[in-house]
Amino acid sequence: MLHRDRIPLLWGFLQAVLVVALGFADMETGPGGAGVSVQQPNGDRFKIEGRAVVPGVKTQDWVSSARIFVEGEEFVGFVRTDGSFAVNDVPSGSYVVEVITPNYRFEPVRVDITSKGKMRARLVNYIKTSEVIRQPYPLQIRANGPQTYFMKRETWGWTDFLMNPMVMMMVLPLLIIVLLPKVVNTNDPEMRKEMEQSMNMLNPNPELPDVSELMTKLFSGGSKPSSKAVTSKGTRPAVKRR
Amino acid sequence: MAKLIWLCLNFVILCSTVGAVFEDQVGKFDWRQQYVGKVLFSNFDAQSQSSKKVIVATENNVFASLNIRTGELFWRHVDAIGPEGNIDALLHHGQDALLVVGDGRLLRSWEINIGGLNWEIVLDSGSFQSACLIGQQDIVKHVAVETVDYQSVYSGGNGEVYVLGIVPHSHIAIVVYSLDDGEIIRQFSVEAPWLSNIQASCAVIGEGMLTCADSATVSLYMLDLESQTEMSQIPLQSLGLEVTPDFQPVLRSTQPNAARPPLSEFFLQVGPEQHLLLQLNDGQIVTLRDFNPALLVSFATTGEKTIAAVMSPKNTTACSINLFSAETGRRLLDTTLIFPLDPNGGKPEELYVQAFLKKDDSVGYRVMVQTEDHTLTFIQQPGRVMWTREEALSDVVTMEMVDLPLTGTQAELEGEFGKKADGLFSMVLKRLSSQLILLQAWISHLWKLFYDARKPRSQVKNEVTIENLSRDEFNLQKMMVMVTASGKLFGIDSKTGTIVWRHYLDNIPANAAFKLMVQRTTAHFPHPPQCTLLIKDKDTGLATLHVFNPIFGKKSHVTPPAMPQPILQSLMLPVMDQDYAKVLLLVDDQYKVSAFPSTKNVLQQLQEIASTIFFYLVDSSQGRLSGYRLRTDLSTELIWEVVVPTEVQKIVSVKGKRPNEHVHSQGRVMGDRSVLYKYLNPNLLAVVTESTDTHPERSFMGILLIDGVTGRIIHEAVQRKAKGPVHIVHSENWVVYEYWSTKSRRNEFSVIELYEGMELYNSTVLQQSYIFPSSISTMEATLTEKGITSRHLLIGLPSGGILSLPKMFLDPRRPEIVTEQSREENLIPYAPELLIRSEWFINYNQTVTRVRGIYTAPSGLESTCLVVAYGLDIYQTRVYPSKQFDVLKDDYDYMLISSVLLALFFATMISKRLAEVKLLNRAWR
Repeated sequence: MLHRDRIPLLWGFLQAVLVVALGFADMETGPGGAGVSVQQPNGDRFKIEGRAVVPGVKTQDWVSSARIFVEGEEFVGFVRTDGSFAVNDVPSGSYVVEVITPNYRFEPVRVDITSKGKMRARLVNYIKTSEVIRQPYPLQIRANGPQTYFMKRETWGWTDFLMNPMVMMMVLPLLIIVLLPKVVNTNDPEMRKEMEQSMNMLNPNPELPDVSELMTKLFSGGSKPSSKAVTSKGTRPAVKRR
Repeated sequence: MAKLIWLCLNFVILCSTVGAVFEDQVGKFDWRQQYVGKVLFSNFDAQSQSSKKVIVATENNVFASLNIRTGELFWRHVDAIGPEGNIDALLHHGQDALLVVGDGRLLRSWEINIGGLNWEIVLDSGSFQSACLIGQQDIVKHVAVETVDYQSVYSGGNGEVYVLGIVPHSHIAIVVYSLDDGEIIRQFSVEAPWLSNIQASCAVIGEGMLTCADSATVSLYMLDLESQTEMSQIPLQSLGLEVTPDFQPVLRSTQPNAARPPLSEFFLQVGPEQHLLLQLNDGQIVTLRDFNPALLVSFATTGEKTIAAVMSPKNTTACSINLFSAETGRRLLDTTLIFPLDPNGGKPEELYVQAFLKKDDSVGYRVMVQTEDHTLTFIQQPGRVMWTREEALSDVVTMEMVDLPLTGTQAELEGEFGKKADGLFSMVLKRLSSQLILLQAWISHLWKLFYDARKPRSQVKNEVTIENLSRDEFNLQKMMVMVTASGKLFGIDSKTGTIVWRHYLDNIPANAAFKLMVQRTTAHFPHPPQCTLLIKDKDTGLATLHVFNPIFGKKSHVTPPAMPQPILQSLMLPVMDQDYAKVLLLVDDQYKVSAFPSTKNVLQQLQEIASTIFFYLVDSSQGRLSGYRLRTDLSTELIWEVVVPTEVQKIVSVKGKRPNEHVHSQGRVMGDRSVLYKYLNPNLLAVVTESTDTHPERSFMGILLIDGVTGRIIHEAVQRKAKGPVHIVHSENWVVYEYWSTKSRRNEFSVIELYEGMELYNSTVLQQSYIFPSSISTMEATLTEKGITSRHLLIGLPSGGILSLPKMFLDPRRPEIVTEQSREENLIPYAPELLIRSEWFINYNQTVTRVRGIYTAPSGLESTCLVVAYGLDIYQTRVYPSKQFDVLKDDYDYMLISSVLLALFFATMISKRLAEVKLLNRAWR
């Protein structure tokens, strides 16, 4: 009895049993090459397709470490040896598709799938989520360069040292002090007069007391001469004393 | 707005140096170990004699290729988690490997040299049963995958494909297809009322002879698929064989080439440790050899020779493996191989044999043995272990970092201060002797340095053993105690990643939950450090304790208490017994509390402080959160209860603060020099709830901040149009959580900060949210010794990167309009999107696949935090959230500073000399 019931069942299953015959010998032609009837996935599941390219790098050097993430790790796909990829069994919705490799940087793409299976790809914009800037579909994702994980060490060079503002501040006045007397002949009385005049121009009100002088007077009790005098006269005797 | 973003960008550039890695630091203090998981299928690459690959497919949905010389990975492909990524079958032929994935949903072909995908096709959905390669005229061309009701596929290489189906306890249905056009050649059925599962008890042997074993009648049933329609019964007794009672005999056949029929020799397992090598000869079964005892058997083929490898127990510490000729059952000479049994490991479970022909045409072989604790051991003749892989580490559940002990000499010094004084003279003597020991140690250290310096660099071995493990100057090297889901415990040196000890607990229930606690640290010499692992069966709630020494991995002499009642909660008290072990309290389902250790001293202490011990219980099925207080007689008293209506929302997680966290900054200085005090309640709990309604328009998540002692609700926030998974970090005075916004389809971060206000008891809650451009896997905050260093959030991303995001970016006081005051406080202007900068990845390209947890531990340096990320891989590194402010940086230019000093020294010398000469000249004038 059971046996007889089984026979129509068996016939039904015959169509369902899938003996997939695929050519190992003609690998390049892919799954379609060997005359396989691949049935479309059931109604509401779709396939996201595309191709990833790293300019200037052979695909076999990076595909073994690459994965395709659809909406985080929810759906995972792998990259074929020619750089193309497909993620199967994705229901309709809106997803962010990313190519994940440790060494190259890819921009994510948002893919919208309608309930009828229409696809469109657009730029990811998290702030204006409804903005649509179309991208090609099937996806064409190019790496925009290697990932930069490392900071540059601050290396020490002579130019860094010389261009340092502190050093500049020290070196420039030194140059002026050393070079200016040689360029300008201070012994010339006309020249001296001219300089004094220009100094007076800089100090418009000679009656106004200089702040530094005021301070030194205040602290030293006004007994000592002004600081300028000390420095200009004081150096020579010090040397002599030695 | 654009201006704001520009400002923000500017700031980002300014502080971009925070948390970055320099290129020359690669591998200096970080390491990564990659795992694949428990191996389900394994195949040796037999293309050529020199091939050194083994391909494996694992329970963790990983497909990888291992180097058989070193055990390292050539490449690895990690599929989606869950049933969609499950690997059902692995077929391997030549350059290509075929995987059936996701219960027969996908068929993928991989190129095994570079690990690239050749093609992928979608199959009809069904449930996967069996797959086989089909060949014709010695060329393997096709693959058959069986996904519907039939249980087995077989092809003998003659152009016909047999599909076997079964109606349990009734009959076998057989359909024969032609390989050329897929037409059905014939179909028939065979009565087999005793058979329930073809795959478990049947195998095809020789030229299409279906052989099944039946334990009820203790006999073999045979059927020639080509000609017969009746099964013939052969009682095993007629062959002179006996089967262990209640043992289902297992058949194991081999088909070395898919284009040819299977060999007529096969193994029959008749008992747990008894195998028979049988041969089918003209319809008659001949016993070639009886292996008793034999743990594991396996066939292997090289060239035209097929051999049988048999593993039999030798003694308690080793097993021996021998090769036998499959055709005759004779033992091959000089093929014994010793497999050492690890006393801390599991029993061998599976044997994978790689056979090869030597130059003199004899058969050589290597074996890969898989044990119950998911360890893979690769052995070469005559017993040299080439490598071992601890695949249990692909599933770390919880971990702790324990300080290493002081060295013997250091401990000696410590002991001197610990003992009671016994006279001045002996104290002086002791002091002198310990100083002498120190001197001796220093001289031997110098000698070793000198000795090593003479040897070439490659020869200097830095073996890490238990003996030379000791605490370093800044306590940067620690012992990582890792608990894995399989029940194997590991002790790993954090500096090098070397596994120092391993211990397999063999009676772990399948769905156990683990909690690891450090009861006594290494600080209490001579008491050994002590860790306690609470293992709880999630179904029954029954728990056991495993007490061990975290440095040596040995089981402690302390006998843990028996716990007949299910355990609801466990808590570690800061109270210590007289042996400096912290007290562990266990609350059972009768709300009775038991203490471990439960000495008189402990019970007395507990009675004294009972009124200050509070704890909480969470019952997420009832939506109830309740707080209890301990009574002096170790019973409990309910003091508060918060009920979340389960029909609207459910409790998904409850997070307290870490008990070893210190906060040494009580407030924040504002722009106007006033102080905003932080609300630092150590008992604060953050409770996350999610709505039961998952419709994107109506779903929401809530967060409750509850005082764990009084039950007072401090704050409540609801995020509308949001759903989980929610990741949450609770620390200091802030809570950071991440959720999925269903409205704008993006991940968002939200931060809540609690302040007492300008003066005490004036509670203020600030909250701000941000967009995060990636989903996240796990999240943790950095932790330092004193809590002075600024905090970073460590975020594990699905891509495998560990992002170190400064907490400064998640600050609810970030202003929308920049003012003088906010600039003075160094607040970054608010920008809705948080950026992911690739310089912030602390693990650069060393990605941690499927990161499940991040563990942070303080080191002896305030600036440094130790980080371990675990998932499928394990990655250990250090982070410096406020840069290395307390030690010289590792790029400190000693050359520059010494050359400048030297130059200055010589300049003074020269100028002094010149000055003297000048003075002398002047005097002469």
